[in-house]
Amino acid sequence: MSPILRYLRVIWQIIRKDIRLEWRGRQGVPVMLVFSLLVVFLFNFALQLSPDLQAGLAAGLLWVSLAFAATLGLNRSISLERESGALDGLLLAPVDRSAIFFGKSLSNFLFTSLVALVLLPVFSLFYGNNILNLSLILIVLLGVGATTSLGTLLAALSIQTRTRDVLLPVLLYPLALPILIAAVEASRGVLSGRALSDSRNWILLLLACDVLFTAAGLMFFETILEE
Amino acid sequence: MKRKLEISSAQITIRGLVKRYHYQPVLDNLSLTVEDGDFCVLVGANGAGKTTLLRIIASLVRPDSGEILLGDDLLGVNPQLRQRIGFVSHQPMFYQDLTAIENLRHYARLYQTSRVDETINNGIRSAGLSQHLNKPLRAYSRGMQQRLSIARALLHDPVILLFDEPYTGLDQDAARFLDGKLKQLHQPGRAILLAAHRPQRLLPIASHIAWLKDGKIIQHLPISCLSESPELEQYLQEVA
Amino acid sequence: MPKKPPGLIILDILSLIGVLCALGLILFFTPVEATMGPVQKVFYFHVASAWAGMLSFILAAAAGAGYLITRRFSWDWLSLSAVEVGVIFGLIAILSGMIWARPIWNTWWVWDPRLTTTAIMELIFGAYFILRSGLNTPEARARLGAVYAVVSVATVPLTFFSIRFFRTIHPVVIAGTSSGAAFNMSPRMLVAFFTSLAAFTILLADLVWNRFRLAKLKATNQQEMQ
Repeated sequence: MSPILRYLRVIWQIIRKDIRLEWRGRQGVPVMLVFSLLVVFLFNFALQLSPDLQAGLAAGLLWVSLAFAATLGLNRSISLERESGALDGLLLAPVDRSAIFFGKSLSNFLFTSLVALVLLPVFSLFYGNNILNLSLILIVLLGVGATTSLGTLLAALSIQTRTRDVLLPVLLYPLALPILIAAVEASRGVLSGRALSDSRNWILLLLACDVLFTAAGLMFFETILEE
Repeated sequence: MKRKLEISSAQITIRGLVKRYHYQPVLDNLSLTVEDGDFCVLVGANGAGKTTLLRIIASLVRPDSGEILLGDDLLGVNPQLRQRIGFVSHQPMFYQDLTAIENLRHYARLYQTSRVDETINNGIRSAGLSQHLNKPLRAYSRGMQQRLSIARALLHDPVILLFDEPYTGLDQDAARFLDGKLKQLHQPGRAILLAAHRPQRLLPIASHIAWLKDGKIIQHLPISCLSESPELEQYLQEVA
Repeated sequence: MPKKPPGLIILDILSLIGVLCALGLILFFTPVEATMGPVQKVFYFHVASAWAGMLSFILAAAAGAGYLITRRFSWDWLSLSAVEVGVIFGLIAILSGMIWARPIWNTWWVWDPRLTTTAIMELIFGAYFILRSGLNTPEARARLGAVYAVVSVATVPLTFFSIRFFRTIHPVVIAGTSSGAAFNMSPRMLVAFFTSLAAFTILLADLVWNRFRLAKLKATNQQEMQ
C-alpha cells in the first residue's frame, strides 16, 4: 500500500476512533454545548444584554463562548489519549507522526464545529439576529479550524506538565488573539448585513492563521511528544 | 546477487546510545546486539534505565546520541520500520471506554493488518478473553488488560518484541499465559528483549541475559554460560 | 565563582555609559514638547524599552530554534535569559506608557496596537514561565519552552496587524485627541531617540549575557553535584 494511502488511512482511523469514543461516552460535545450556553447566559446577566443585541456584541459573545468550548474539547481529547497510555500506541504506529496531529486536530475541529452549528440557531432564538447564514458559517468554520489546529498543538504541550489541562487556556489565548479579533470583526460585518467581501481582510487573516498553525503543527507535533 | 551473510531483519543492533535526564546520563554509551532467534532478558536495578532503553528502541524516546539498527535499517529515518516492532509496556495502551474488539480493531487499522477480524479473534481467543469481547476495557482486571495488551502487540506479526516488566501485577493465570506465549514466540525469525528486575522465572525460557548497570551493558551472555559470571549470579540471587 | 569575562565587563561599562548619555540628552538636550509638556520625555525610554522587549522575544525564539536544532543547552540558557530580560523591558514599556498617557489623555491605558501588543507579549512571557515551571526535567523545559517560544513569536506580527486594523475601524477618541504618538520629532529629539534605542539595545545584550552566565553556572553546578 502506498505510504500516502497509509497516512490518510491512519488520519481517518484516528477521527473514527474519536467519534466512537464520543458516541460511547457522550462527555465531549454535550458538555461543550451546555457550557457555551451557560457562558451566553452568564454574559447576558452580567452585562444586562437586551434581546435586540447589536451585531458587535453578538459576534463577541458568540466567539467568547466558542473559545471556552473549544478549550474544553481540546482538553478532553488529549486527556483521553493520556489515560492508559493510548497516546504511546498512536506514536508506535508505522506512519509519520504528523498524521496523529492531523487526526486529532480534525476530530477536534469536527466536535467544536458541531457545537458552533448548534449554538448559532440558539443564539438567534435569544437575540433575534438572523444568525443562520452561509457567510457566518464559513467564518465560524475558518475560525474554529485555526483555533483547533493551534489548540491541538498546545494541548500536546500542556498535557506533559504537572498542571495539565489547566495550562492550555494560558498557553492558547494570547496566541489565539488574532483569530479571535478577525473572527469577531468578520462576524460583526456579516451580522450587520454587509457582504462577505467587505470583511475580506479579516477572512484573509483567518486563512493566514489556519495555514500558519497547521504548518506549526506539522513542524512541532512530533518534537513535543518525543521525550 | 544476494549477500551471503545478510543481516536478518529480526536483529537489534545498538551502538553508543546516550540519554541524559537532569544532565546525567541514564544510558551512557550503551551497546548491545540482540540476534535473530534470541530471547534476551534485560536485568538491572529499578531506575537503571531498562524502561528508557526499551522506549528508545520503540521510538517513543529520542536518544541524545548513538544509533539503533533493526536488521540493516537505521531507526529514526523511516517510520515504516516501526511495523516490525511490538511493544508491551507497563500501560496497556487502550481506550478504556471502548471494547476489546474496538480497541484491537483500532490497532489493526493503524498497522494496516490484513484479514483484520480473523487475526483479532485469534488473538482474543489465545488470550482467553473470548467471553469478554464486548465489554469496555474499564471492566477488565489488570491481568486481563495485560493479556489483551500482548494480543495487541502481536496483531501485526512483529519480528522484534519488546516487553517492559510484563509480569508486574499479573495473577497466576495471566503469568502462566505469558510464559506460554513467550515460549511460543521464541523462535528463529524473531528477537525478544524483555526487561525484568526479578528474572528468576524467565531463566528457564530465555536464551540470553544482559545486565544494565551504570548506563552500560556490563554483561551479556547466553544463559547457559551464566556460571562464567559469578557477579551476575550473585546479583540475580540478591533480587530473587 | 569564576571571573567575569573581560568582554562582559566592557559591555557592563558600555551599557552604563549608554544609558547615562541617553538620560543626559533627554533631560538637558531635547526641547520640551509644545502640547504635552515635560512628561513627553518619558516617550524616549518608553519606545526604547518596547523595542528592547521585542528584540528579546525574537532572540528567545531564535535561541529556542537553536536548541531544537542542535540540542545544546547553551541555546536554552540563552532563550530563558532573553525571556526573563524581556519581561522587565516589557514592564518598563507598559509602566512608562501609563505614566505618559495619564497626564496627556487623562487615562491610564490606551488600547493602541503597540501598547496592546506589548501587553500581550508580557502575557506570553508569563505563560512561558508557567509552562517551564510545570515540567520536571531540564530537557523537557528546554525542548517544550523552545517550541512555545518559536510558535508564539510567529503570532506576534499577526496580533499587531489585527489590532492595528481593528483600531482603524474602531478609533478610540480620548479627550479630544486620537490615541497614538501624534507629534513630530525635531532633530534634537531624533538624536535623543536613536541614542536611547542604541543604549537600550546595548543594555539588553548586557543583561542577557549576565543572565546567561548565571544560568550556565547554575546548570554546571547541578551537573557536578549529582
